[in-house]
Amino acid sequence: MSASANVEVDINDCEVADPEKLAVFEAHVAAGGLVEPNDWMPEAYRTLMLRMAEHHANSEIVGALPEGEWITRAPSLLRKLALTAKVQDEVGHGQMLYEVAQDLGKTRNAMLRDLITGVTKYHNCFNYPCPTWADICMIAWLIDGAAILNQGTLAHGSFGPYIRTMRRINMEEAFHFKHGEDMVLTLMSGTDKQKQMAQEAFDRWWGPSIAFFGPNDRPDERERPAMKWRMKTATNDELRQKFVNRFAPAAMATGLVINVCEKGEDGYVTSATPDPLLKLDEETGNWGFTQPDWDEFFRVIRGNGPCNKERLALRRFSYEQGEWVRRAILNGSTSTPNNN
Amino acid sequence: MTTGDLTTSEVENFPIWEVFTQKKENDVHVHAGSLSSPDASFAQLFAREHYGQDQVCISLWVGPRELFTSDEGENEIYEVFVQWSAGLKHEHVGEVEAGNGKEAKDICKEHFVGEKTFFSIWAIQNSKLTKVDGATDMIWRATTDQTYRLASGYSRKVRQKWDALRASNAVDKYQEEDLKETY
Repeated sequence: MSASANVEVDINDCEVADPEKLAVFEAHVAAGGLVEPNDWMPEAYRTLMLRMAEHHANSEIVGALPEGEWITRAPSLLRKLALTAKVQDEVGHGQMLYEVAQDLGKTRNAMLRDLITGVTKYHNCFNYPCPTWADICMIAWLIDGAAILNQGTLAHGSFGPYIRTMRRINMEEAFHFKHGEDMVLTLMSGTDKQKQMAQEAFDRWWGPSIAFFGPNDRPDERERPAMKWRMKTATNDELRQKFVNRFAPAAMATGLVINVCEKGEDGYVTSATPDPLLKLDEETGNWGFTQPDWDEFFRVIRGNGPCNKERLALRRFSYEQGEWVRRAILNGSTSTPNNN
Repeated sequence: MTTGDLTTSEVENFPIWEVFTQKKENDVHVHAGSLSSPDASFAQLFAREHYGQDQVCISLWVGPRELFTSDEGENEIYEVFVQWSAGLKHEHVGEVEAGNGKEAKDICKEHFVGEKTFFSIWAIQNSKLTKVDGATDMIWRATTDQTYRLASGYSRKVRQKWDALRASNAVDKYQEEDLKETY
């Protein structure tokens, strides 16, 4: 999963950078130059990059939780294997991203503590329930699809360790997405019951998918640090439009209907009506669409969503239950030879 | 340990290790990433699990991060790695015999870099690298069919499903129009 634009830092809060060094840095980055860990960087750059990596790592770890629930309930052995591999990949991505964030100056302990206590955030979509197998299919197709779009642009960013991690992550993300597509096509080529389950899951996940890219752009988006310093290379709205242009026709081609939905506090859909704005503008090539419900988005992300507490409780539980493993690694030794 | 105090603090101080993998014979070892571990034996275990699993590799090297940039050392063989420009990964370029880390990097510059531009050089004593050889010691998952976890394992199936869906939509549309004509 990838970072949203919601990681903001007020650069006035950070140590004021040496104006000469800052000018050289900004020129270097604007010209497409890259930044490695031992290079000089403004404090605000370090802070913002750290928050991005941390948010991204949190999202990978929490994202694996709803999927983990379905491993034992997968409808076939192939799906079980693929879902297990996806979860494994995501936890691995989390580990790599925590390493990047650690190297930028925050301890692993502090990051896990802040995640569990709700200080730092993760992608909002993981605060919603996954009541059916079709939800897992839709997450893999839509959310991983959105992540690939976003991460593709992040891989052109300026910070070396992060962009190298993006390249590695994107390879695995391609498998998640392709498998998601396979699952959705299976459902939409299946029985009426399968198609109905798929449509209902799509109704739950279309909104969170287009909200995935973060809130609407501010007018000065490109002058803000994240884009000025090339940590993000595309705006939220640009990515959102790209996503709709790709996925709206694909969804409709499978027979899915794109609805504007209202949700209750439990995350379930209470009403669904076909999106009246969903039309192709022949001139621009862009599909019109109804924006996500931003009020609901902010309500959920602030901790009042259907699954926020449940996700964090499970993370805390796993962490506490894993104490004995950390002790064993610390105190024990393995029987594998090492040549030190 | 209370829930407010969330960790064994010693875990915080695990040193960092750099991992290099060699994909196939005749490839060079390339930097794959880093990880935290208390010692070399866990480092190579974690490296296998994380960097050796999904991308087939036939050899894996792991070494403590601080040693790659150290100027210290003993008189012995050093493995040397070059990062040619920012954004790229360090690649193994060869071995040099040197008295310490600094000398190893200087010799590397002379022999392997020459006039070319480079961004950074790492050097580590061969004796401090943990090497895992896939030929004698299986690196996990290199031997079984992994297509269930690769995008390539689904490309053809997905294409076939799209074709079938479109064909059945076409048939439905055809039947619909056929009915319209008849009635």
